[in-house]
Amino acid sequence: MKLLGRILSFVKSTFFQKKAVSASFTELFMHFQDILESNNKAMEVIADMNDKQSGQYVFDSKYMEDAVEKIEKIISQSAYSFNFITRNRYFEIYHVIETLGRQLKMELAGKLVIPSGKIVLALEEIQEIMDEAVGNKAYNLSRIMRLPKVDVPKGFVVSIGGYQKFMALNNLYEKIEKLLHDFKQGASPDQISNSIRLLILNGDIPSDLRKEILKAAEAVYPKNPEFGLYSVRSSAVGEDGALSFAGLHDSYLNVPFRELLSSYKKVLASLYNPSGLEYRVSRRLPLTDMAMAVLYQEMVPGRISGVAYTVDPASPQKQVCLLGANWGLGKSVVEGSTAVDTFRISREAPYPMVETRIGKKEWMVGPMETVPATKIRPEIGNLPCLMPGQASAIVETALIIERFFKRPLDIEWCVDADNRLKILQARPLALPRGGQARSPELNSILKNHQVLLKDQGVIAYRGVGSGPVWVFEDMHSLDHFPSGAVLVARYGIPILSKAIPRASAVITDIGSPTGHMATVAREFKIPTIVDAGSATHILKPGQEVTVDAERNTVYQGRIAELLHHQLLERHLFEVRYEFQILRRLLRRISPLTLLDPEDPMFSAKGCRTFHDVIRFIHEKSIQTLLKIARKPSDLLSRGGKRLKSDLPLNLILIDIGKGLADHGGKPGWVLPEHILSLPMKALWEGLSSEHIWDTRPMPADFKGLMSGVTRTQAATAAGQTLAGLNVAVLGKDYMNLTLRVGYHFTVVDAMMGLVPEKNNIFFRFVGGATDITRRSRRALLIVFIMEKIGFKVEGSGDLVIARVINSTREQVRNYLYLVGRLIGFVRQLDMLMTDDSTVQLYFERFMSANHLSVLNDQNPKKEKAL
Amino acid sequence: MKDVFTICVLDDEPIVGDRLKPELEEDGYEVEVFTDSASAIRRLDEKCFDIFITDLKMEGVDGMGFLEKVKESCKNSEVIMITGYATLESVRESFVRGAYDVIAKPFRIDEIRAAVKKARSRVRKTRG
Repeated sequence: MKLLGRILSFVKSTFFQKKAVSASFTELFMHFQDILESNNKAMEVIADMNDKQSGQYVFDSKYMEDAVEKIEKIISQSAYSFNFITRNRYFEIYHVIETLGRQLKMELAGKLVIPSGKIVLALEEIQEIMDEAVGNKAYNLSRIMRLPKVDVPKGFVVSIGGYQKFMALNNLYEKIEKLLHDFKQGASPDQISNSIRLLILNGDIPSDLRKEILKAAEAVYPKNPEFGLYSVRSSAVGEDGALSFAGLHDSYLNVPFRELLSSYKKVLASLYNPSGLEYRVSRRLPLTDMAMAVLYQEMVPGRISGVAYTVDPASPQKQVCLLGANWGLGKSVVEGSTAVDTFRISREAPYPMVETRIGKKEWMVGPMETVPATKIRPEIGNLPCLMPGQASAIVETALIIERFFKRPLDIEWCVDADNRLKILQARPLALPRGGQARSPELNSILKNHQVLLKDQGVIAYRGVGSGPVWVFEDMHSLDHFPSGAVLVARYGIPILSKAIPRASAVITDIGSPTGHMATVAREFKIPTIVDAGSATHILKPGQEVTVDAERNTVYQGRIAELLHHQLLERHLFEVRYEFQILRRLLRRISPLTLLDPEDPMFSAKGCRTFHDVIRFIHEKSIQTLLKIARKPSDLLSRGGKRLKSDLPLNLILIDIGKGLADHGGKPGWVLPEHILSLPMKALWEGLSSEHIWDTRPMPADFKGLMSGVTRTQAATAAGQTLAGLNVAVLGKDYMNLTLRVGYHFTVVDAMMGLVPEKNNIFFRFVGGATDITRRSRRALLIVFIMEKIGFKVEGSGDLVIARVINSTREQVRNYLYLVGRLIGFVRQLDMLMTDDSTVQLYFERFMSANHLSVLNDQNPKKEKAL
Repeated sequence: MKDVFTICVLDDEPIVGDRLKPELEEDGYEVEVFTDSASAIRRLDEKCFDIFITDLKMEGVDGMGFLEKVKESCKNSEVIMITGYATLESVRESFVRGAYDVIAKPFRIDEIRAAVKKARSRVRKTRG
């Protein structure tokens, strides 16, 4: 075996001439140390970049350029060591890093990077980061359709990927670029616009795209697509976002099925409308990143339609909303071509009518029409088209949407024949003023409010929010989190993410602005203060508070003036170009999408972000290192030490630097007290603690089961020499532990240094000796326990993947201690998990048996969480 | 004379001035923002601001040159340098030439607030 191995490595080394064959174990581990170090540095840069999204920092484009350069360099170094260890087995990782680097540089230069993936997406398929792919109109609708009381007509979007395919198939890029160049040289916008639009209208839609559009359209009216009517609207990148391209691009109503494809081209062409070109030039927007997504929706035959401004643009300081409404479809209200009704309605519940002006309505857009061509009978034209109750309901919904966007909005709505309110569009309302400082009057109002917390925490996301305090108790109560409440929790644990989108603000006693939870809060733009010390003691459930995460202050009561000021005058730092670029950069850097090393996607090609690359390199290098040894004695002969203890574990420890104490000339084995590695010490303490390794006699049927298992184990063990191998790779702050106990396979990888941003724990658990149902019950139990402890957990079947990032050394110690106890606790539990109720039983047993120093103090009474 | 403190912010990256202006105005200062040193210097000839916040690396007259001009013509003003290229050398030179503080970019808004507050009490003191 050894000889064969040598021959093999000789052949390999001749093949890959550069790398040394005879790299010793020590040398390999030195390179592994380099990888760990580089990866940690990279994670620190990522955390730093994420933190910049909080709005607390002033940063410029140089910062972003530097950060991107730095991270690429660090990861390239890591890749170099990685390929040393793996003997250039993963050459393609360099290509992945270069590609990501190139894309990041394009983002830095403000160029639009084509998102890959599906081109035609149903509204509900649009994900959090897709705004640039589907345009803001479709994106906004896809976000608000999840909100309570918001009903959005069914539909789908053809992303800018469709535009790009169309342009490429018809060779339009160059031609258009040339025409745009002429335009910049002073050619008339009308002439240039006409030429470009003609090119587009004469183009062919790629055949697969045609099919996809028609298929998606059929899904809108599954019963009779041929007779369905659609609205086909522009959803350009940038449109309805930070900038308003309102009305610059074309939309079509009542489009029949047979015209869906020609309408697609018409909407694409409208990207180059003369007014749009001029708007871009006047705003000094680049002409290079123009792209159009197209939104198709079920046409709602509105009985009454209109717009809602959540603030009256004429007097923004007043706490009123403005509604415009007419009979029929909304076009008559938007275009302002006929008289309509105007309502002013209070922004405060129950939203009473403040003022009504009934227009003399003569024309409306009938259900099948595209222009106001239907005459309204005079006896109806003089009646208000909305009853006060209807107007209040519209305002209530509009304010729910406003709370999500956190700025005044311009919303298009209609009421259908069955009196259902439908939301057709939501976009920022352009107001003449903004960015004003807090006035002395406002400051004196603030002075009159009791301050509950001041400067006690760290702002993770700026903003102001108000609502009743809701204190987190256990994960199941999270399902009942009331929309609009202020979420207060002892720890900023990932499980809170469930409630964050519905919160008006978040405060935690303990937590880091770079943790998972803060990242989610930023994603949803929820004002968030973390590490505030004693918020859970000071703030009482149900108490109305205003969280000023601009000035790190929490006030007693609801301060309407502050909220209104924030709504109107807040500096929208997120819409600044730099913040948008940072957000785009982070999408290619920060998310971790490669979770499971056993997943076929866990490959170099599968890496979609730098974080994925880091994870991939780490995982594959440790796998390679462990594979070098074919059996335990290989490890022992190369410096591994057997751990002598009372536990039935055949564990070999490999020291990669300060992980084990030198205990004077006892080769081959160590005792637990020789472990210096901090994470291993913590885990071992849990694993070896009393009562965890239960050796009591088992009931008869359990014995029966066991004997069956023993046989199976023996049979398989013969074929798999490594099946019983338990290995830990140890550094002072590092541990990678692979355990195969009772037929499940556990990996714990942990970093536990002084810098929280560098610390993390990866936990993976899979398998068992019983049938998949029992194994899955045990996996579910682990999911519940680990979520409760504070891990971010994903599980499916009998697989559990959990992780923790950005935690202090002390926190990591606690986590690992509990993980150790958990590993021992669940070791053979799957055999006992004969029905679903056992999940709860053992959950409670684990919780009560463990003095959960990590979470117990936040909720001593309630441990029955299931 | 009104007791309003005036601040001049000079940085060729517009985001710096755009973000600092409202934040400092909120604290009651009067703020003017410049993105090129030439126009800031023209304004400097007309008016001595109480506090100058300037970037170090810029086209034309750089932050060090600007600092010198301020020190020549506005004896009672303080200068806070902000820089993305903070080296020991540049920091030392800034202090030697009379900068009140040097802050590395990117910085927290609280940091610049605190620095401005300290600079203000210094300005008050020197004026008596």
